[in-house]
Amino acid sequence: MTKRIAMAQLTSCWGCDQSLLDLHLGLLEVLPELEIVFWPAVVDFKIKDLESMPDESIHIGLVEGSCRTEDDVRLLNLMRAKSKILVAWGVCSCYGGIQGLANQWELDELVDRKFMKADTVTDPRIPSENVPAFVPQVRPNVDVVKFNILLPGCPPTSKNIVEALAAILTGKPFDLPEKSVCDQCPKVKQDKHITKFHRSHEGRIDPSKCLLDQGYLCLGFATIGFCGAICPTVNSPCKGCFGPVLRVKDHGAKIVSALGAIAEMEPEQLKDSFPDPIGSFYFTDYAASYLSRMRDKARSKKK
Amino acid sequence: MPTGVTNSLTAAGHKATSSQRQKARGEKDFEPRILAFCCNWCSYAGADLAGTSRRQMPPNVRIIRVNCTGRVDPSFILDALNQGADGVLISGCHPGDCHYTSGNLKMKSRFALLQKVLEEAGFEPERIHLQWASAAEGDVFTEGITSMVERIKALGPNPARKD
Amino acid sequence: MTGEKVVRIEPVTRLEGHGDVTIKIGKDGRVKDAQFSVTSTRFFEKFLEGRFAEEAPKFASRICGICPEPHHLAAVKAVEAAWDITPPAPAVKLRRLLINAKQFSSHALHFFALAAPDFLAGPFGDPAKRNLVAITKALPDVSKMALQMMQFGQELAAAIGGTAIHPVTAVPGGMLNPFSEEKRDQFLKRISDVKQWTTSTVALAKKIMDDYVDVVTKLAVGPTYYVGTHSKGALEIYDGSIRIMDTAGEIVEDLKPKDYRKSFAEYVPEHSYATHVYYKPVGYPAGIWRAGSLARINIADKMATPLAHEALEEMRAKLGRPVHATFAYHWARIIELVQAAEEIEGLLKDPQIVNNDVKLLDVKPKKGDGVGCVEAPRGTLIHHYWTDEQGLITKANMIVATNNNIGAIEKSLMEVAKQVFEQKAHQKLKLPKPVIS
Ligand code: SF4
Ligand code: SF4
Ligand code: SF4
Ligand code: FES
Repeated sequence: MTKRIAMAQLTSCWGCDQSLLDLHLGLLEVLPELEIVFWPAVVDFKIKDLESMPDESIHIGLVEGSCRTEDDVRLLNLMRAKSKILVAWGVCSCYGGIQGLANQWELDELVDRKFMKADTVTDPRIPSENVPAFVPQVRPNVDVVKFNILLPGCPPTSKNIVEALAAILTGKPFDLPEKSVCDQCPKVKQDKHITKFHRSHEGRIDPSKCLLDQGYLCLGFATIGFCGAICPTVNSPCKGCFGPVLRVKDHGAKIVSALGAIAEMEPEQLKDSFPDPIGSFYFTDYAASYLSRMRDKARSKKK
Repeated sequence: MPTGVTNSLTAAGHKATSSQRQKARGEKDFEPRILAFCCNWCSYAGADLAGTSRRQMPPNVRIIRVNCTGRVDPSFILDALNQGADGVLISGCHPGDCHYTSGNLKMKSRFALLQKVLEEAGFEPERIHLQWASAAEGDVFTEGITSMVERIKALGPNPARKD
Repeated sequence: MTGEKVVRIEPVTRLEGHGDVTIKIGKDGRVKDAQFSVTSTRFFEKFLEGRFAEEAPKFASRICGICPEPHHLAAVKAVEAAWDITPPAPAVKLRRLLINAKQFSSHALHFFALAAPDFLAGPFGDPAKRNLVAITKALPDVSKMALQMMQFGQELAAAIGGTAIHPVTAVPGGMLNPFSEEKRDQFLKRISDVKQWTTSTVALAKKIMDDYVDVVTKLAVGPTYYVGTHSKGALEIYDGSIRIMDTAGEIVEDLKPKDYRKSFAEYVPEHSYATHVYYKPVGYPAGIWRAGSLARINIADKMATPLAHEALEEMRAKLGRPVHATFAYHWARIIELVQAAEEIEGLLKDPQIVNNDVKLLDVKPKKGDGVGCVEAPRGTLIHHYWTDEQGLITKANMIVATNNNIGAIEKSLMEVAKQVFEQKAHQKLKLPKPVIS
C-alpha cells in the first residue's frame, strides 16, 4: 500500500526539497511507495487541493521552512490538520533557520532596509496588495503546532531524509543520534590549548588535526552529529547548521559554556574574538534561543 | 542538562517572597526581581553571614546555591532572564580561592561572552553581574546585592517580564 | 457583481520560490492585469549586517537551496573585492568547476523536472501527468538519464564544496580544501557518460523544439532587454563582465560588475515581495530585462566551447539573434548544458585542478566595499558588501538572479493571459500528440 505524502514549503530556501531530489536514482525506489498529494515544487497541486482533503488523510506531512508571513502560519496549521505524522523537515522548520537571525531587529527595520533603503531601489514602497502580512518574528514551527518528528539539518542530507522516511513507512521509531559532529569527525583530537582564535580564512590549516585544537571556531562539539561531519572533513569549521546536540535547549549557551572552559585567554580577549556572538553561535537556530524568545515577549508586550 | 543546582532558598532570600510577588506597576515603584547564583563555598556562606548578622539588604533577591560558579551553565542565566528575572547576579570565590581551582575563572570568561551576547540581542548587559565575595565578606556580598538592585532599578524592568 | 473575474493560482507550481498569480479579467472579457506575487522574503540584506565577512559565503548560500553555489561564490568574490585579494589560480579553477557542476545539474533538473513534463505530456495535458513523477513512470529511460545527470553535477559540486546544498569551502583568499587526484580520477572516469547523456539530451531537445515550433515561436513572445555576462564575447558564468542588450538586439552597455549600480535598478511592485530588476537608464517598465540562459545566449557572440557553439549556431539559424520567445529558454538551457559539460571536462583534465596551492595565508580584512558577480542558472547574480576595519559586514545589497526576470515574467504572463482568455490562441496552436497522455 502506498502512503499519502505531502511536502509543503513555508518561507525557505528550498534546499531541503533539493536534498530530497538529490536521492536521484534512489528516488525511483522511494517514489513507488508514496502517493504524492501535495508538492508544489514538482507537482501541480494547489493550496485549495490541500484544503479540500479530509483531516489526517495524509500519512506523512513534511514541512520545510519557517513562518515569516501569515500565509506560512496558515499553511503550517493546514499541514498539521491534514497530516497524521508531521515532520519538521530541516533546521528552518525545527529551529527557525537562518532567517531567525532577523529577530535581532524589529520588523519595520527589516522592511525599511529591504524595500525603502536598498541601494538599487528606485521607487521605495512597501508592497501591500495580494501579499500576506509579515509576522513580527520568526518562531520555531514547533512552538506553533505539534510535530511528531524532528528532522534537523540545513538541509538534512538525502540519507537523513530517506532514513526518516523508511522508518515512518515501516512504522519503526525514528530517533535522532545522541552523538555530536565531533563524534563523526575524522580529524585527530588532542588536548586543547587555545590561546588565540583564528578566523576561518586565516593561516595554514593542518588537514589532519582537529580544527578547534588549531584555534578555529569549529562548533562540532555542540552540534548534533547527523550530517557525517561534512564541514570539518573539508577543513571548514562546523557552523552548527544542524542545530544543537540532543537535549541542549540553547545552542549558543552551550557554546559559551565550552569556550569559557577551553579558551586559555583573558576574558576580554575572548570577548573581543567574537564581535558577533549571535551570528557565530546561533547560525541557524537563533529563533529557538532564550534571547530571541525574550525579544518575542518584549515585542508582544509593546503592542 | 547538567545538574549541580540546589534549589534551596534561605538566608537573604527569605523575606523577599511577599514583596516579590507584587506587580511592578510603573517604573516608580518598580521592585526588581533578582536571581543570585551563589557558590556554596564562599558567597553563599557570605550571604548566610549577612543574613544571620541581620544586615540591611534589599528584599528583592532569590538565592540559588551552587557548588561552584563554574557549574552555573550560561543557559541557566538566560533561562532566568527569559522567565522574567530583571537581573541575574553570580557570586563566587575570589580568583585563586575557587574550591575547584578555576571554576570561577571559567565563569568569568563565560560571563564576558554572555554580556556580549545580551548586548547584541538588544538587552542591557548590566542585567547580569559577576562578583567575588568570600565567606567572611558578608558586607561585600550585601553591598553587591544593594548595588545590583540599584543598577537594575535604573534600567527598569526586564522587557520580557510578563507582568 | 460587476462580472469581473479574478483568476488566482496559488501557489504557482514547479517553480522554486513562493509565487501566486492573479489575473484580472474585466466585464468585457479583456485581461486587465496579470500579477505575479512573490509572497515572502527573508531579509538577508539586513541580517547579514554585523557578521564576519569571511562567513558570508556560508550565509549567502542559504538564499537559495536550488542554486547555492552561485551565491556562495558571488559572496566570496564580493569580500575578496572589498579586501583587495586575488585568490591563487588553482582556487579559481576549483570555483569554476563548482559553478559549472551546478550549471550542469540545474539545467538537467530544470529541463526534465520543470519543463519537459509540459512538452512530453503536452502543455495543456492532465496536471497529474505533467510532472517528473509521472515521467518516471511513463519514460523510465529518460528519467533515469535525467537523474544520473543531476547526480553527476551534484556529486561533483559536493566533491569541491563539501556538500552540494550549501557548499562550505570558499573563503576570501581561496578554497579550504584542495581536490585530490583520486577524486578527480573518479569523475574523469564518468566523463564519457556525461558526453553521451549530453548528446542524447540535445537530440531530445531538438525533437521537442521541432514538434513544438508553433508554441516556441507564437506563445509568449515579447521583446525585452537582456542582461548577462561574457568574457571577450564568449558566454562566461564565473567571472565575466556585464553586457546589456536592447530589444532590437543592440549591445547598449558593457560594464564592469563593480559599476552595476549605473545600470541595475530595482522596482518595488505594490503586489510582490520580490523586486523587479530593470535597466536603469531606460526606466521602468520600458527597461524590463530578462536574464538566465536565453539572455546569456543572446548577449554572447559565441559560446566558450566548440560543441556548445555548434548548438548555438544551429539555434541562431532557426530563430536568429536575439531570440525573444520565452519557450526558447529550454533550448538555450541545453546549449549551456553542453558548455558546462565541456568546461567540466576541460577543468578535470587541467593538471592545476589538483594543485594544493588553493589558499592565501596572509589575508587581512579591511574597510571597503566590493562587488561579486556570477551567473546563476537563472541569471546575473550580484552581491555587494561593505565591511569595516575588522572585516565585519556593515551593509549588504543583493541583486538576486530570479528578480531580473520577474518584470518580464509578468509581462509575458499578461500576453499569455490575453492569448488564452481573449484569443483562445492555445486552441489554435498546432500541437503534436503528447508522449504521455
Ligand atoms: S533548513 Fe536550510 S536547506 Fe532547508 S529550507 Fe531551511 S535554509 Fe534551506
Ligand atoms: S571540533 Fe571540529 S574538527 Fe575538532 S573534532 Fe570536533 S568537529 Fe572535528
Ligand atoms: S559540519 Fe556543522 S555546519 Fe557543517 S553541515 Fe554538519 S552541522 Fe552543518
Ligand atoms: S568554588 Fe566558589 S567559585 Fe568555584
